Amino acid sequence: MQNAMGLLLTNAGGGLRELCAERTGASLPVCGHYRLIDFALSAMANSAITNVAVLTGKQCASLFSYLGAGEAWDLRRQTGGLHILPPQGVGAAFYTDDVRTLSESIPYLAKSRQRLVVLARANTVCNVNFSRAIAFHKEKEADVTVLCHAGRTNPSRHFVLEADREGRVEKMALDPHHAEGRFFGMGMYILSKSLLIDLLAGAKEAGVCGSLEELFLHYRGSLRIYVHTEEGRVWTVDSPRAYFEMHMGLLDEKIQSTLFRGKEEIFTRAGQYAPTRYGEAAEVHHSIVADGCMLEGRAENCIFSGGVHLGKNAHLKNCIVMEKTYIDADCRAENVIFDKNCLMRAGRHLAGTPSYPLVVRKGAII
Amino acid sequence: MYGAECIAMILAGGQGSRLGALTRNIAKPAVSFGGKYRIIDFTLSNCTHSGISTVGVLTQYRPFELNTYIGNGSPWDLDRSRGGVHILPPYQKSGEGEWYCGTANAVYQNIGFIERFSPGYVLILSGDHIYKMHYGKMLEFHKGTGTVGTIGVLRVPVAEASRFGIMETDTSSRITAFWEKPKEPKGNLASMGVYIFEWQVLREYLMLDALDPASQNDFGKNIIPRMLSAGEKLSAYTFDGYWRDVGTPESLWEANMDLLAMPPRFDLYDADWPILRRAENLPPHFVGANARVLDSILAEGCRMYGTAEKSVLSMDTTVLEGATVSHSVLLPGAVVGQGARVENAILGRGARVSRSAQIRPQKDGEIAVVESETP
Repeated sequence: MQNAMGLLLTNAGGGLRELCAERTGASLPVCGHYRLIDFALSAMANSAITNVAVLTGKQCASLFSYLGAGEAWDLRRQTGGLHILPPQGVGAAFYTDDVRTLSESIPYLAKSRQRLVVLARANTVCNVNFSRAIAFHKEKEADVTVLCHAGRTNPSRHFVLEADREGRVEKMALDPHHAEGRFFGMGMYILSKSLLIDLLAGAKEAGVCGSLEELFLHYRGSLRIYVHTEEGRVWTVDSPRAYFEMHMGLLDEKIQSTLFRGKEEIFTRAGQYAPTRYGEAAEVHHSIVADGCMLEGRAENCIFSGGVHLGKNAHLKNCIVMEKTYIDADCRAENVIFDKNCLMRAGRHLAGTPSYPLVVRKGAII
Repeated sequence: MYGAECIAMILAGGQGSRLGALTRNIAKPAVSFGGKYRIIDFTLSNCTHSGISTVGVLTQYRPFELNTYIGNGSPWDLDRSRGGVHILPPYQKSGEGEWYCGTANAVYQNIGFIERFSPGYVLILSGDHIYKMHYGKMLEFHKGTGTVGTIGVLRVPVAEASRFGIMETDTSSRITAFWEKPKEPKGNLASMGVYIFEWQVLREYLMLDALDPASQNDFGKNIIPRMLSAGEKLSAYTFDGYWRDVGTPESLWEANMDLLAMPPRFDLYDADWPILRRAENLPPHFVGANARVLDSILAEGCRMYGTAEKSVLSMDTTVLEGATVSHSVLLPGAVVGQGARVENAILGRGARVSRSAQIRPQKDGEIAVVESETP
């Protein structure tokens, strides 16, 4: 058991546009049968962090029913366990402002027994164990440890840092024009609970609000901030394009293997679909397929969530198709993200481009 | 103590020795079916959907995997504070302990468990059949008959009748004669191994049977014939859905192939009667760039780089480049090496077919069986 608790922010920001028009970022389906929040929650569970608070904002009904009592991630506990913290305050600002959202967690933080907090955004796709970062944080006697990736995977240049040989941060920048730094923040931080409470209280007094990174930037003069690099693949899902590119990257079996078949599992809440059925004329290649699908047509480079129907002679390329969407016969689609429960009527054609994938909203009829 | 109107006792203790290599290391109810299920999922799901929430599972042969799989029963909504699923292995009593030596003996040794719920009725089930059935309807039927017991029956092909308990009934479904696995069957109305008894009556016959040293302590061979010769009235409840006793590699293969018919002979995709199971936490299956999958079922975790036609590939199976699997069933974890050819076969859990090997039955009409490698 770690002397650390978890705190998750579920708002993925406005960048996801239509993909989060009717859901909170953390609920976003990923890679067939996962949800975005599975990665951060699994990291907590795998790191023996069993007291995990999840801060929710608007449109969180589907997230609430998905999380349940945390059973899927072994976080249904008598002591600690998963705690959902819905917003108590009023006003739209509470839903997008990290600092004010985090202030909601202060009462829960105060009554938790752990000394450290692992603070994470729920929109990072990765397979990490926080134990090494926590040990590093203690060894360096850091005030804040920023988990970073080496930039090999998706180019989220949102929070760029430069550090010395010891890992002590020298420069930090948000969305810089020129990315001056070798370290890219993953949206995951380690700091002591008391420091977090102090920073939030100070921010309130000083009228500072905004993102978590803005909070750290504001206080950087008085904090020992360190970077700790995580070696594995990391994706930050903050736009439809980032979401699309990540999925196309996941079609590489080696990447799937390191993410999903490593020593540490990615836990998810299982669905109730029967296995997928391929028809007599199915031609599916280089694709990831969840259960419950009926595939009778052609597909390349696609990711299918549960219960998808692909009609005879339909042809999909580079598409992400979410649950229960029905693609009728003879359809064509390329570079399209279909949300859940869509219906594409027979013979229709749709196309986006790799840099501008077309997003079809939940329940849309084409 | 919580009382229940009807509790279920599932007989899951047998080895299923006719499954041979496929059950060398696990109990038959834990054997995989339909890509992602275990045979016992059907009986357990039937109980839940029928509103039967107190279930005893009688285990004996190699129960570890089965017991772990059932766990606290949460996947089947059988983790209850009142009732729920209970695993019942043979146990030591003061002075002696015995293994279960027959289906009736297993229930007899658990009279204490049943008594805790003071049920009016006990539903005896087997953990090794594939079927969807609403036991509540059978219970309603039974109550209407005024008899002490009702046996679930179905018509079987005459050629197979000697494998079953066969009975004759009159026009009001009253059982007039019963033969257990008759060499020359006089009919084809077969027992499904689903029985509902008035508990007080069953209890009496279990006690009587236990005192008889010549008895094999079996429902079909002893309890039911004894009841009938004592003049007790028993009824038959006809079931007309799909039902399979997948007790041999051939029948397990056939039942899996039935899922591939269009429409499937057994519908796993029934939203009104989902088959519940304990999830394994595998990633979705992956189909490679050069793979071909036709007319087949692939379960989660499968890695498909070769060709599959008219086959069932269970969870976490792998078919490497250039390999072909046709008219076959791969149980979980099986691996088919590069360039191998598998036809009309059933591969056990974790079985490995080496590169370029050819697996096919020795004779037409048979099924090739490749043993499990999982210990």
